[in-house]
Amino acid sequence: MDTRVDTPSTDKSKLSVRNLNFYYGGFHALKKINLELPEKKVTAFIGPSGCGKSTLLRTFNRMFELYPEQRAEGEILLDGENLLNKKLDVSLIRAKIGMVFQKPTPFPMSIYDNIAFGVKLFETLPRVEMDERVEWALKKAALWNEVKDKLDQSGSGLSGGQQQRLCIARGIAIKPEVLLLDEPCSALDPISTGKIEELIHELKTDYTVLIVTHNMQQAARCSDFTAYMYLGDLIEFGPTSEVFTKPKRKDTEDYITGRFG
Amino acid sequence: MSTTAPASAHGFTAAQQAGRVAMHQRRKRTNAVALTLALSAMAFGMFWLIWILFETFRLGLGGINLAVFTEMTPPPQADIGGLSNAIFGSIMMAGLATLLGTPIGVMAGIYLAEYGQKTWLGGATRFINDILLSAPSIVIGLFIYSAVVARVKSFSGLAGILALALIVIPVVIRTTENMLSLIPNALREAAYALGTPKWKVISAVTLKAARAGVITGILLAIARISGETAPLLFTALSNQFWTSDLREPMASLPVTIFKFAMSPYENWQKLAWAGVFLITMGVLLLNIAARVFFRNKH
Amino acid sequence: MTDKHLSTQFDNELSGISTRVLEMGGLVESQVAQAVYALSTFNADVATQVLKTEERVNMMEIEIDSDLSSIIARRQPTARDLRLLIAVSKTIANLERIGDEAARIARTVQRLLSSGMSSRLRLPVGDLAFECELATKQLRKALDAFARLDVEAAIEVLRHDDQIDQEFDGLMRKLITYMMEDPRTISSAIDLVFVAKAIERVGDHAKNLAEQIIYIVKGTDVRHNPVDTVESLVR
Repeated sequence: MDTRVDTPSTDKSKLSVRNLNFYYGGFHALKKINLELPEKKVTAFIGPSGCGKSTLLRTFNRMFELYPEQRAEGEILLDGENLLNKKLDVSLIRAKIGMVFQKPTPFPMSIYDNIAFGVKLFETLPRVEMDERVEWALKKAALWNEVKDKLDQSGSGLSGGQQQRLCIARGIAIKPEVLLLDEPCSALDPISTGKIEELIHELKTDYTVLIVTHNMQQAARCSDFTAYMYLGDLIEFGPTSEVFTKPKRKDTEDYITGRFG
Repeated sequence: MSTTAPASAHGFTAAQQAGRVAMHQRRKRTNAVALTLALSAMAFGMFWLIWILFETFRLGLGGINLAVFTEMTPPPQADIGGLSNAIFGSIMMAGLATLLGTPIGVMAGIYLAEYGQKTWLGGATRFINDILLSAPSIVIGLFIYSAVVARVKSFSGLAGILALALIVIPVVIRTTENMLSLIPNALREAAYALGTPKWKVISAVTLKAARAGVITGILLAIARISGETAPLLFTALSNQFWTSDLREPMASLPVTIFKFAMSPYENWQKLAWAGVFLITMGVLLLNIAARVFFRNKH
Repeated sequence: MTDKHLSTQFDNELSGISTRVLEMGGLVESQVAQAVYALSTFNADVATQVLKTEERVNMMEIEIDSDLSSIIARRQPTARDLRLLIAVSKTIANLERIGDEAARIARTVQRLLSSGMSSRLRLPVGDLAFECELATKQLRKALDAFARLDVEAAIEVLRHDDQIDQEFDGLMRKLITYMMEDPRTISSAIDLVFVAKAIERVGDHAKNLAEQIIYIVKGTDVRHNPVDTVESLVR
């Protein structure tokens, strides 16, 4: 499938996808994807249900390996190194590439422990430094002020929007390089969604962010680049303002203007 | 409730309106009949339960006094006596059986829920576990008899513990697996996404999230073995005197009740009822504790 | 995938806007023709008619703009739909100004009639009518191109804009000659200059319309570019 892959020459590629094919058992879910994802920018993946955008996202941190019938072929290069190489320790990959899911999932422990959990996996920090890290992560996630007095309370006591920001803080605390957001706002109300969109805008100064969303307006608001996928193919990829005002492919235009036969 | 329909805004004819009213009436009648039957069935069940509890209280409460807890089981027709050795034996054997069976059960439950969802070993384990779960406890008792008691040629508290543990294990396996399976995969995935290794995902996240359910399962297992008589008959047998030596036969409340209740001696019968009362109260309290604990944690 | 939106309401709203733009276009086209007819025949009634139509044209601009805001707010249009709506907003502004030019011509007629200049005039009103016909032809072509979203026709309009400019230059020279020959004709000649300028501006507005059509279809903003550059931008 001949896809148009244009990365503006001013942006460096953080992740390069080369000839990626993905299978659920016998079902060919991703078809020869080639894609260059720019560093420290937000890239949104849009497309109808079943187009493969979540599947693609979950190949970046090898989440599919939890399920034996799923497999990926091809290369995904992070700063030049192939992530799909079986010899690489998957835990170390996931330390570099964090993920936030659709449903907020606080661990059954205190807010402090939630944030510290990931950090403790890879670093041994004295108590003072751990406190600082927790505070830093919560501040980055715009949650510090709301929880600073109840760090030892259970994470499940927070509201939906707060829980999702807790999950984001948890993901940031381990200082990854890439953040994968899989429909992070679909379970949230408009105000929480707005807060998280603001957050995404700030996060991109430090992280490369990939976001999958069903909400086209959200993709248009939040992202610098947009990728449109359909039935496992990458149809178009380009700067968001172009994709939404002057898309190169009629398929893309039909999707974003709501012309589905 | 009115029997006339409200004025129609949709243009139904009078005949259609009457039809709808009649249908509604029929449904009300059916509902009333079904409700009555359901309530009757419940009342019927409750009746027997309440009668059992009432009799237990009536016949057992009278026999409860300090002596029950301080005196050993008496010979027939004696003046003084109690159930202290039986109580101690029950607590000892149930406690140690739980201590023995729980880790095995929890570990196996973890295997089934986290590693063996689709493996042949997992499937086989589940199948065998289901059989063990519904095996009559007397069969388990006889098995330990031939494997242990007949070999060493003596009844012992230890054999009793082994038999009870064999009852605890399938129960704990089943509840642990069920409770772990209830934990949504999203939680596990969130832990994996941070780079957590599998064993830590299970111990620090999944198991912790299912903690309340697993503990409830253990409490219920304890409640179950507290009242088991048949397995103890062939393993621990009973002991008229106090002993804390597991190599000797040991008294237990269920077996003592069995012995005393069937006898023609009045003091024994009174003590039997007291024992019944104690077991019933104990199991009742354990069940309530399990429910309260589970609800609080959720 | 068809050309229709999932929401038929949206489809109806968009086609409704297009229809009304064309209606407004037809209205101003006849306005301009009527205004120049009024001038060449010194007809007061027709001039009044033109001014009456002006009110209706202004109201249409306001109504269509209001509907545009509403659609943009409610539908969050993107790509082609967005470009269409933005272009329509500019188009109706252009059309309204064409109406203004027609009204200006009509008022000139009224003024000439009230000052009694009409009978003594030997001025090239016929040439004006010819310039007007060029302009209205351009306008009609542009409106047709809008109806069919035809880029080629739009480029044709851009190419022929020069013709009107040349006509205007010729007219200017003629009028200057008249003024030099007979100074008594100066004031009415100047009025005619303004009328000619107004017609020339109608041609410019038609050109703007054509540029908007290219933007709708191709997404390229070709304003402020000579025709040759436009062709290379579009292909």
